[in-house]
Amino acid sequence: MLDAIDKELLAAVADLEGLPKGAFNIRKNGRLLKREVSANIDIESHADGQGITVTIKPGTVNESVHIPVILSQAGLYDVVYNNFIIGADSDVTIIAGCGIHCGGLEPEGHAGIHEFRIGPKAKVKYVEKHYARGPGRGRRSLNPTTKVFLDAGATAEMELTQIGGVDEANRVNEAVLGPDSLLLITERVLTEGSQKAVSTNNITLEGAGSRANMISRSVIKGDSQQDFYATLDALAPCFGHIECDAIIMDSGRNETVPSLKARHPDAALTHEASIGKIASDQLMKLMSLGLTYDEAVNRIIQGFLK
Amino acid sequence: MLELKDLYFSVGDRNIIDGINYTFEKGKFYGITGPNGSGKTTLAKLIMGINTPNAGEIRFGGKEISQWPITERAREGIAYSFQQPARFKGITFRDLLAMAAGTDDEDMLLALLRRVGICSLSFLDKPVDAKLSGGEIKKIELATTIARNPRLAIYDEPDTGIDLWTIQPMVRLLKREQKEHGTTTIVVSHNRAFLEAADIVLMINEGKLAYRGDLQGALPMLNDLSACNYRKCVGDRDVGCYR
Repeated sequence: MLDAIDKELLAAVADLEGLPKGAFNIRKNGRLLKREVSANIDIESHADGQGITVTIKPGTVNESVHIPVILSQAGLYDVVYNNFIIGADSDVTIIAGCGIHCGGLEPEGHAGIHEFRIGPKAKVKYVEKHYARGPGRGRRSLNPTTKVFLDAGATAEMELTQIGGVDEANRVNEAVLGPDSLLLITERVLTEGSQKAVSTNNITLEGAGSRANMISRSVIKGDSQQDFYATLDALAPCFGHIECDAIIMDSGRNETVPSLKARHPDAALTHEASIGKIASDQLMKLMSLGLTYDEAVNRIIQGFLK
Repeated sequence: MLELKDLYFSVGDRNIIDGINYTFEKGKFYGITGPNGSGKTTLAKLIMGINTPNAGEIRFGGKEISQWPITERAREGIAYSFQQPARFKGITFRDLLAMAAGTDDEDMLLALLRRVGICSLSFLDKPVDAKLSGGEIKKIELATTIARNPRLAIYDEPDTGIDLWTIQPMVRLLKREQKEHGTTTIVVSHNRAFLEAADIVLMINEGKLAYRGDLQGALPMLNDLSACNYRKCVGDRDVGCYR
């Protein structure tokens, strides 16, 4: 059922050696390939076939659900709308991701629109990896959108990664935080060649006591370009922080625009942003440990994107 | 084991290192001192390859290494502890220690912690980032230098940011490394504790080797304010040296 390419893509985007344990939904070339549900996690297809609704029962703890997408059909641009309804007091991990294998000249792409409704005091860890490979020269595009709505006391930890091979990416993250909720986003994007990636983030701190921390790590190699826009919009007493770092290598270009909007006098918003080459003191330290220049660069980038 | 011959390093028309000749003997402990801006750190960096001399030779174990890159010198057995250690994002003490030791074997890393006197295991997984205190990062720097098992270890002001209670244990550690592993040790320092521990004190002033010998012999110079570069501020535009 899974061919060698499928297995390689699944390993890259979801760390899977084969079919996962527990609930999962694997989509291949725009169609359902395989699905399992569990006693606490239900998965249903939308009537139009363009997506799923994952429903997690209140109080579900220590369970995970995998929902990877793999694409290897030339000329296909797959769009899915996935909804996640996470019950109160649950604690779950959702592993998503899209792997593209491009074998020809025709473009391939995927747009995953993921909407999360996270119930009171529920905790979600969401891990999403995007990756493309293959000998073909068709453009590979991945345009993920995540929308997160956090109820009172809810927590969402989101790890969003684009690990290479994607020619074009338009990434959008939106979140609305209820009272005492917590949102942690870490986005890591690597571009090379003539690839382009844009990340747009709008986080609204609506509830009193809400907290958001957005970390962006960009590595821009070759002639590639990455732009990062993040807005924290505070409507209540809350705390928000944006940390965006970009390492530019070769002739890469970057635009980073963090934006803070305090619409409440007790909002505390901060940001730190840096763009630049790898610091020479880091390179010298690793070279003094016996690494070559190239090994030192790779190790620093590897850590930066870890 | 390390020979400096007619060594010069200049920036613009200023000679930072101005014709230094000296031979370091295997297994000895050297303390390099001198006023601020005299060229101590520059000399240490020339030995490690962080800076390249304008003229002269650096011979290490008989090989002329003055044009070698840092990596080659490190692999030849020279290790360097930076005065201002680098901070990273996403790299832990464990990562650095494993790179330095050439192994990620847990038992070997724990043995290294014991060797350098770091007792807390949780320290191993600390990110080497901007959140570390000055003292913590210096301990990490020292540990990664020792983990190289170097033939020549260079420590540039190892006591920067270290509390008073840690300096003597640090001196004992470097002396023990010298004794047990035969490490030729060079410590750039203003701290008397390191100079007292040194077999030989070298004093650099205005890029030249102004003194070589024991600490006792260096004391008159160390107490002589005329050796201080800040004497230049005395004169027509004397702003009053605080010393």
